[in-house]
Amino acid sequence: MQILLATCEVFLKSGFVFSLIAMGYYISYTILDFPDLTVEGTFLSGAAVFAILISKGVNAWIALILSFFVGFLFGTLTGVLHVKLRIRPLLCGILVSTALITVNLIAVSAGMTGDFSGESTSQISYGRGAPTLDNIFPLNLIPARIPGLNLALRELILFALVAILFKLLMDWFLSTKRGMLLRATGSNDRFVTTMAKDCGNSKILGLGIGNAYAAVAGALYTHISGNVNQGMGIGTVVIGLASLIIGLSVFKKVRFLRQSTKVILGAILYQLCLTVAQKLGVPSAYNKLIMAVLFTGALLLSRHGTRAKAATKHAQEVKKC
Amino acid sequence: MLELQRITKIYNPGEVTENCLFQDFSLQIADGEFVSVVGSNGSGKTSLLNIICGSIPVESGRLLLDGKDITHLPEYRRYEQIGRVYQNPAMGSCPDLTILENLCLAENKNKRFGFGRAVDRKRAAQFAEMLRPLGLGLEEKLDVLVGALSGGQRQALSLLMATMTPIRFLILDEHTAALDPKTAEIIMELTDRIVREKGLTAIMVTHNLRYAVEYGSRMLMMHKGNVILDKAGEEKAAVTVADLLATFNDISIECGN
Repeated sequence: MQILLATCEVFLKSGFVFSLIAMGYYISYTILDFPDLTVEGTFLSGAAVFAILISKGVNAWIALILSFFVGFLFGTLTGVLHVKLRIRPLLCGILVSTALITVNLIAVSAGMTGDFSGESTSQISYGRGAPTLDNIFPLNLIPARIPGLNLALRELILFALVAILFKLLMDWFLSTKRGMLLRATGSNDRFVTTMAKDCGNSKILGLGIGNAYAAVAGALYTHISGNVNQGMGIGTVVIGLASLIIGLSVFKKVRFLRQSTKVILGAILYQLCLTVAQKLGVPSAYNKLIMAVLFTGALLLSRHGTRAKAATKHAQEVKKC
Repeated sequence: MLELQRITKIYNPGEVTENCLFQDFSLQIADGEFVSVVGSNGSGKTSLLNIICGSIPVESGRLLLDGKDITHLPEYRRYEQIGRVYQNPAMGSCPDLTILENLCLAENKNKRFGFGRAVDRKRAAQFAEMLRPLGLGLEEKLDVLVGALSGGQRQALSLLMATMTPIRFLILDEHTAALDPKTAEIIMELTDRIVREKGLTAIMVTHNLRYAVEYGSRMLMMHKGNVILDKAGEEKAAVTVADLLATFNDISIECGN
């Protein structure tokens, strides 16, 4: 029983964390049809900014918000490359995420030791005692001595809380005029132009949001890994996209769920699959292969017009409000 | 008054496929005119519309609106005063949004797209009233995705949305070409009514010679980047489809067809 609970905690926690990347991809990939590779870099940027600020004694929630904005900034950079310089989506992502390898390295080094050569340190570790998200307000309101409510469970509550918060933020944004203009841009950018609006701005904004969410995911992930290391962004593109596509295709016919809820469920389902594989004794070296196979499966599942379905669903949601 | 002054437009400049379409092309369109434009393929009709809207750049010349130079005004800024309906019914609306969402979007043209609620359900009844006269049943389908509508329904919606907010110019780019004859007729009549009611200045490219003859206050025939026929008022009223066809045949003979 204990083992089962512990296993659930593990995949639920990663599920909630990675659901943030998937929600970001809902904006950039599902709505704007932009396969954004920048996420590998901004995930790490978010983690680095968060960890540096925490280690400087900044309030963890403020640190989380700042990492959101840093991710947003780098995302808009990808957008500007695409919109203003007319570089193809995949190349924009490759360019910015490559540049971010340096930026993140220097940021960690300079942030921790003030050394701008980037050679002093490439890692940030913070001890369990550091005042981070799971032991400040509002999580500190949970009494420490509730039986069974150990640290891992508190983290789970925290991650669920943050994921739901950002889900609500996205739901709200997509129901605003600005949000609808973004959806219109993804649907028919010529039409947005005839509405006397620069559709490039919507694309830049969408990429900003997508990467801001990835950065928040990175910041949360530092709680799971306990540190920031330069390799932690690798594979996040696949995790994010696979979670998104699994969520939207598996729950395609479930009418009472919002798109954003499906995306969160997709992320959890994806982590569940990985955990099951692990528990069945598959060596962890096989992880990336399993991820690719799962992703392929999700793509096959989603064959039947995910985009149109997504739009139908959203339309019904707006009606409900 | 919209003025094209000595416009030169070259496609693929400097390449083997270089094609000079307009050379010192000039045209004036007065306020309130409904200009129908006919001409063979490649004669420059759609290019003319694209130049007016800023969808394609020009090599030289100026575009004046009430004497103000708008040659370098970006395309999206020009649409503040222009409504446009395309040949492809899918171009004039968002297929992944519902009719209601599309209408709310169109209604907000030239206003701020801020963080207010996008869809106002209270407006649904008003929109339904607006759609009912079309007789296409759209008023019952406000929550249906536009992508699920027929070409005719979409085109009617596009036309309505393009003219919902105050505009000065209506640009119609073969907007009945993809429709069946009956629907094309409905859309054409709707167009005429809207242009009259709102007092718009309209420029309509069409391959339907009968529409060019029957509708509008002025008619242009284009050929190889030149206006070869420009009739307005009484003169225009006297033109028949047979006349137009004859002129077309003359051009074709010139070209060696």
